Amino acid sequence: MGRYTWDFSVITANWDPLMAGLAVTLQLTAICAVIGLIGGFLVCQMVMSRIAPLRWVAIGFIELFRCTPALVQIIWIFYCVPYFFGVFFDPFYMAILALGMNITAFNAEAYRAAIQSIPASHYDACTALGLSPLKKTLFVILPQAVLMAIPVLLTNTIGLLQQTSLVAIVAIADLMYEGKTLATQTYRPIEIYTTVAFIYFALSVPLSQAVGLFERRLRSRLA
Amino acid sequence: MSSFLNVQGLRKSFGGHLVVLDDINFQMEAGERVVIIGPSGSGKSTLLRCVMGLEKIDKGRIELEGARYIEANPKSKKDNFVDIPVRNKVGMVFQHYTLFPHLTVLGNLILAPMRARGESRSSATERAMQLLDRLGLKSKAGAFPGMLSGGQKQRVAIARALLLDPKIMLFDEVTSALDPELVTEVEGVMLELAEQKMSMMIVTHDMWFAKRIATRVIFSADGRIIEDAPPAKMFTNPSEPRTADFLKKVLHVETIS
Repeated sequence: MGRYTWDFSVITANWDPLMAGLAVTLQLTAICAVIGLIGGFLVCQMVMSRIAPLRWVAIGFIELFRCTPALVQIIWIFYCVPYFFGVFFDPFYMAILALGMNITAFNAEAYRAAIQSIPASHYDACTALGLSPLKKTLFVILPQAVLMAIPVLLTNTIGLLQQTSLVAIVAIADLMYEGKTLATQTYRPIEIYTTVAFIYFALSVPLSQAVGLFERRLRSRLA
Repeated sequence: MSSFLNVQGLRKSFGGHLVVLDDINFQMEAGERVVIIGPSGSGKSTLLRCVMGLEKIDKGRIELEGARYIEANPKSKKDNFVDIPVRNKVGMVFQHYTLFPHLTVLGNLILAPMRARGESRSSATERAMQLLDRLGLKSKAGAFPGMLSGGQKQRVAIARALLLDPKIMLFDEVTSALDPELVTEVEGVMLELAEQKMSMMIVTHDMWFAKRIATRVIFSADGRIIEDAPPAKMFTNPSEPRTADFLKKVLHVETIS
């Protein structure tokens, strides 16, 4: 291995575009995470619905997004949605569409597993307490499902944060895209990609620590 | 003819062929405490669940204070006719506590008064704290169910049902999951309710408790009511050979005194 002379001045000189890219990455992550938290619960409710067509649509949706690569989903939506549906959103919104649906599919499965771990007797107890189906869902099932699903939801969100880097392929100026641009402009890919990797890492570690914390708290609470 | 609780021609099957309750006719008056005993699989718990409206019934109807609130609906595969406001006068406590683990004891108590009845938080909290105080659980108001003993959990579950001012309470094997030394604290609460003339239907395997709390005992087997008698008669001189046979098995002695 040859001796490499590191020169991080390229980072300090180009701090602003990197931070602008990071802002896009964080926006994408935050918006899609919120979509996934709410959308995942709705899709999960469809999967568990008594109405068969609703179930079929939801299961089809989940399998489609779980069983194709996120990169293909982003590219497919970017090229095919304008063509088939005659609409063209800003690429940023296309990316939200793709990543939002992707995490919705994964979160739906996390919610489903959590809801299925709630004992059937809790549903009976809700009826015996006179809670309507809507209130049962809002005040008993949803909070328990969220609580139980938090570790998996957080893990999915960490995955989402990493996956936002894929949108660079369709020229959205996120952290990865800014890094790539700088690397080709400055011929310093090693410093730049190392820095980019470190930023993703530094953002993800607290989230992944939070997973462990929640798991411990859950175990003590639900024991 | 208008009993307090009136079960008429009740038939319940699972999947149409496994008949758990067959043509049950049962009446009770306010203030009565009916204990249902019988071998497992005799439909005791299912009868309570039908009275609570938790089961889809094949035939029959159930009335409370003269108001029909559950009736079989042959047209629908999934649902009975249910008059929800009347059904809400029935309270039930289950074998496995069914406290909601994401809420504190107080949160469990005030959930239904607030969300189902529209009571204000302050009013529900005040009533809940009075009730917890009466049951010796005031110090546990802020605890989560996971931190309580089985006996405490079950007393909280009883309190949660009582806070809705039920006309009748159903107890489905509420002490069966408890360690023996915790049984008396739960039974104590039920005896206290008996003193206050609460109407109750109780399914239990504890014959001594049955004898102590019941005003009437029903022996059921194979989905039918075999015998219906005051506890003194049921436990000392049952009319039906099947009843005698069952009591002999569970008590290991001829009678209890």
